[in-house]
Amino acid sequence: MRTLPLGKGDSIESARGKGVLRTIRGRLTGRWLIGLLIGLVFVLPVYWVLVIATGHHGDAYAIPPVMLPALQFGSMWFVLTHTNIVHYFLNSVLITSATIVLVLVTGVFAGWGLAAYHYRGREALFLVAIGVMLLPQQALIVTQFNVMFHLGLLDSYAGLILPFGASSAAIFLFRQAFLQLPESFWDVARLEGANVFQFLWRVAVPTARPAVATVVLLTFISSWNQFQWPLIMTSSKAVQPIELALSHYMSSFSNNWRDLTSAAVIALVPVLVIFAFTQRYMVQAVVGEDRGVTE
Amino acid sequence: MILDKTERRTPGLPNGSPIGSAQERVSPRVDPAGRAAVLSLDRSESLVARIARPLMGYLLVIPSLAIFGVFFYVPAVMLFVLAFYHWNVFGATTFRGLGNFAILFNQPLYWQSLLTTGYFVLVMVPLTLLLALALALLLREGVRQARGGFARSLIFLPHVTPIIATSIIWVWLFNPQFGLANFALSHVGLPRLGWLEDPHWALPAVMFYTLWHSVGLYTVLFLAGLSVIPEQVVEAARVDGARAFTMFRRVIWPLLSPTTFLVMILISVNTMQAFSQIFALTGGAVGRGGGPAYSTSTDAVLIYQTAFTYSHFSLAATMSLILFVILLVITVIQKRLSSRWVFYR
Repeated sequence: MRTLPLGKGDSIESARGKGVLRTIRGRLTGRWLIGLLIGLVFVLPVYWVLVIATGHHGDAYAIPPVMLPALQFGSMWFVLTHTNIVHYFLNSVLITSATIVLVLVTGVFAGWGLAAYHYRGREALFLVAIGVMLLPQQALIVTQFNVMFHLGLLDSYAGLILPFGASSAAIFLFRQAFLQLPESFWDVARLEGANVFQFLWRVAVPTARPAVATVVLLTFISSWNQFQWPLIMTSSKAVQPIELALSHYMSSFSNNWRDLTSAAVIALVPVLVIFAFTQRYMVQAVVGEDRGVTE
Repeated sequence: MILDKTERRTPGLPNGSPIGSAQERVSPRVDPAGRAAVLSLDRSESLVARIARPLMGYLLVIPSLAIFGVFFYVPAVMLFVLAFYHWNVFGATTFRGLGNFAILFNQPLYWQSLLTTGYFVLVMVPLTLLLALALALLLREGVRQARGGFARSLIFLPHVTPIIATSIIWVWLFNPQFGLANFALSHVGLPRLGWLEDPHWALPAVMFYTLWHSVGLYTVLFLAGLSVIPEQVVEAARVDGARAFTMFRRVIWPLLSPTTFLVMILISVNTMQAFSQIFALTGGAVGRGGGPAYSTSTDAVLIYQTAFTYSHFSLAATMSLILFVILLVITVIQKRLSSRWVFYR
């Protein structure tokens, strides 16, 4: 660029073009780095759970704070063997998986019922199904407790699973997917003598795999992370999920940070593992749901 | 099933592919030269089948609607009834008219909880909105090139972590003696704070946690909003010589307004209903959350305590009804405004 006069090929244009490109790229890398750093700051608290849980005795009180995990699993082992955390963990697994299955079944049924049949009041039923999202949860909890009491569902697995066995998001997503399914598929299936359920299981659900994945992820997150509902609706540890156990430990272990964080790790690991493998899907799923609520 | 039997009797498809063409898909019934099989299928539909078909639609929707009805719609309707009665869970209802409201409005604690909730929401909305917007603008270019996706995931991660599990580490971070929050403060020469043990700083501590836990969600919502801004408009403004700030002020901000509005509503609705993090962060010493000295007793926390600690179900239902109406009004306003007030592409 400094060699004047210019030859015929390398014009000022091209040289400047490259320079601009380089600054843009440089700025982007800078931004990307800043973004990454901020991202790491956000993950830091989660990382610290692991550091404290696997740290040396007294690491929680160290100033300046300890930054690297010592990978001592004594505390973890203690929590696993000397508390009921495994029991709570299995409760959570049971509740979460049962909820996921139920949400898929009711979601596929309702999605198909609202997509494939023409009958009076269909749109109204759809609005009723979607409208649940607009009800503010905190305002309902008192009367929900009343309903649960009268149904005899307090302090039972059913009381933790059944109320969340249907999901507006699932119905919405499956209806959307089934509306795109050619009607002729259904006609052919009927000619072949398949009933609705065979058709749904063999044809409709396999073609709606993205919706299934989204629903599974959403239900997993909301079900695994549930806290307030079991806090209010259960009283015996027989059926309580792991989040509630952590809350118990927070008051009983109070200052035993290593044991407390070890217990937290056990609740966090399933979420972290699933997030690690499905991060993109999960981000889209949760965002899609929240946009769906209000649009 | 009758329907199936009728169908099984119909002859198989005549010569040709069993799967219909696109045309047939659009209007199978009115196509005059259409496929005999499909038409005969419809003709052979008996009266029973014609009734049974939509009935099946109803039947398939019923399980979901039953769950929604029993566990969500019935409790919502019950609010409007039970707020005017004196009752406990076991029953024993006597009509009280507006008595519950009178009792409630004479409780200073209730007014205090409304103030606390208002403070919480009024701080959280601009704070979360600005941080989420800033993060989204920062990550925008990167995400478009598919390599900022990782940073986005990291910022989003806290939102899907279980609240109690991550509250544990935040209680540790906010510990007055050895917590990182105070370590950072004293490092830059600021006084150390009592955080969760100090009535003035407990709510800000809860705000920090809530910000950390939720801002990723709103960032991603903003990123989605930014991604639908037409590239040509931005390019045109750039050609016209718009600098970064003008670009933001005159192009991006107006085009982003639907998303901004949506995010604003979501933040206020969500923070107004914050419960688990308050319970976890302030529950350790006090046992029931909302402390110290009721400084973090938001409306939701007070409803919980009134009903499930003190068993005043009537009062709790009355408070719930008020919260219900407030939140519903916000949602309805949002629905109304979002259709005319803001820009749509």
